[in-house]
Amino acid sequence: MAKTALLLILSVLPGLALAQAPKADLACKATETDFVFDCIIRLSRGGKPLEGAQVTVGADMPSMPMAHNVKPVKAQAAQAPGEYRAKLDLEMLGVWAVKLRLAGPVRDQLILHYEFDSKGATPAKR
Amino acid sequence: MDDYAIGVLTNVGLISFLALSAYLLLIAGEMSFGQQAFFGVGAYAGGMLTAMYGWPLPLAALAAMALGALAQFLVGLPTLRLRGLYFAMATLAAAEMARILFELFHFQRQLEGEPVGPDGTQGFRGIRWVFEHGVEPLDYLAIVYALLALALGAFLLVERSRLGATLRGVGEDAELAASLGVDVHRVKLGVAAAAGALAALGGVLYAHHNTYIEPRNFDIMLGVHSLAYALIGGLGTALGPLLGVVLDIGALEGSRVFHGYRMIVFGGLVALLLIWRPRGLLDERAVQWLRRRFC
Repeated sequence: MAKTALLLILSVLPGLALAQAPKADLACKATETDFVFDCIIRLSRGGKPLEGAQVTVGADMPSMPMAHNVKPVKAQAAQAPGEYRAKLDLEMLGVWAVKLRLAGPVRDQLILHYEFDSKGATPAKR
Repeated sequence: MDDYAIGVLTNVGLISFLALSAYLLLIAGEMSFGQQAFFGVGAYAGGMLTAMYGWPLPLAALAAMALGALAQFLVGLPTLRLRGLYFAMATLAAAEMARILFELFHFQRQLEGEPVGPDGTQGFRGIRWVFEHGVEPLDYLAIVYALLALALGAFLLVERSRLGATLRGVGEDAELAASLGVDVHRVKLGVAAAAGALAALGGVLYAHHNTYIEPRNFDIMLGVHSLAYALIGGLGTALGPLLGVVLDIGALEGSRVFHGYRMIVFGGLVALLLIWRPRGLLDERAVQWLRRRFC
């Protein structure tokens, strides 16, 4: 009985750990200003929208780390739960590693790779 | 200080390790286009030790430095027998080989239900030691600059010593140095190992600052920049490469005056300086003049 309970706990633990890790995705549209994008960030944890987070958004060019510093901006909560809005001012089009620094209910840093073009952003092919 | 200023200053500090590493080889008479490889070795090794095996960061940094030194020593064994352009090309080839190896490197462990470790072109996520230990960005900035000050102090001490004179002698005329009894190949191997350790230290700090690394981070652009910083700043003192980094990242990028055209301005600046002052702003003559005036 104890052995079964232990096995059950061990099988559930990894799932619980996964559930704790926040997930994010991004939807961006180009604005009329060159290289400026309006972005919606969707945050979730354990399949549920992550609300009340303080989100700071930055970006780095993977092929030239440290040399392109996009000024981080604070994202504002959007209307839908778990959604945040931010305006990204990039230096050029191409693949960017978007950095989401989370504070509040969860403290974490998430990195998302997106390819920015003249219309918007799509997940980068790697 | 706001997040942006802290981020720019941290980047200036991190890339300074790489610029110093390129500078060390330059004063020994060798131009390396491959220091980014050892920066990558440090980043991967340090990241793996803390994220996958739970090592504390200081210990992981020491191990990564040792590995960086060994890696550049091994690369130096055959390549330092080459001269001038051939050595530069060999370092570039070695660095590209290292980057491709990073792309092929898959080594992960399951930790708390999630795979952690290098995953080829997908990169290496979750290097979270700094994050998990509650080190705030300003504290990390202080750590980076304290280590940079240590490295700089060591450089300034060496430059005033007999070893420093030997290094510059080897760099300026290797044959003359050899005729005076200096084992040139051995000196250059020592310099290569020290440069590898320094680049690896920068890499460890970068990986833990960023929490994520990928092979593309360590491509030729990073190597070219580190070399350019040393050449712009000057080869007369170890403060030269730092001046180069501050000019590019601190002034050009930090001010964002040139926005997307910064790289054009940077390239023009490198070309102009190589014509006007081939050994950089703080070259040997400028350093002598400053010493006479202020020391």
